[in-house]
Amino acid sequence: MTNQQLVRRSIHWTLTALVIIYLITGLGITEYRIVEPLTLGLLTKSLAQKIHMSIEIPFIVFLILHIWLLPLLKHFRSRKLRNN
Amino acid sequence: MNMKKGIMGRQILFAILSVVLVAIIAFGVNIGCNQTEVLAPNEIREYEGADLSSINDFRENSIKGPQEIDVGSYTLRITGLVTNTTSYTYDEVLNMYQHYKKVVTLDCVEGWSATILWEGLLVKDLLAKVEPLANAEVVIFRAYDGYTTSLPIDYIMDNDILMAYKMNDVDLPPERGFPFQLVAESKWGYKWIKWITEIELSDDIDYRGYWESRGYSNSADLDKSFFGD
Repeated sequence: MTNQQLVRRSIHWTLTALVIIYLITGLGITEYRIVEPLTLGLLTKSLAQKIHMSIEIPFIVFLILHIWLLPLLKHFRSRKLRNN
Repeated sequence: MNMKKGIMGRQILFAILSVVLVAIIAFGVNIGCNQTEVLAPNEIREYEGADLSSINDFRENSIKGPQEIDVGSYTLRITGLVTNTTSYTYDEVLNMYQHYKKVVTLDCVEGWSATILWEGLLVKDLLAKVEPLANAEVVIFRAYDGYTTSLPIDYIMDNDILMAYKMNDVDLPPERGFPFQLVAESKWGYKWIKWITEIELSDDIDYRGYWESRGYSNSADLDKSFFGD
């Protein structure tokens, strides 16, 4: 596996995890009467809200990386080739 | 002969089915005519140039779901550090105090908000009648569903805080807190307690209500984070 592939894969999996956490904590805020007993009281509304708010920026960063990483790398590679 | 019998049988069957169908339709129409149609409450959506949200723009996020309170057996108790512990019926609350109207926006920690014309009475008028004792520091509100919240007595006395019985010119519906909802202006939505049944005056400045004891701010000021102190 090349470094580039490793980076891409890491971004994809991190983003997947962030999306899942974002969804569950979002439900933990709005549907707390269901989520709290389902998680045996572990994911309370306030905890869900704290997690949800704290992963907002990482989520956006990884989403941007996920969307733009490949086109950016291609762009840089083509520029490098042109310069050579 | 058998074929003829079969056709006759089918014709009879179709005739019976037709009669049954007509009867069902007629019965259905008749039922429809007698049924009471529920009309939407005639809420206003604009007041003195301000656009108002709808009663239906609220998200249902109470701790035990909407509560149905029987107005006939309802009482509002004012207890704790007061000279006269008092208990009012719904009509007594409405008839004994001056009524006020005010457009106030409720901001929920979930990220939504609703601007409503609230109509109600001032909590400070209620408190003035029962004469709070000098050591009363906190006003604790209790609801029919077990929800509680508290506010400093100074906040109640220094501001025109309504206990609303109407929103957008219609009576509070059960899901919005009938008979009374607190209009805790400039505070996050979890201070806007619905289905109020008791107001207790206390000297316990560390008292924390339902959400406050679960990590939300006790001051709940809109201009501050809803987490923390």
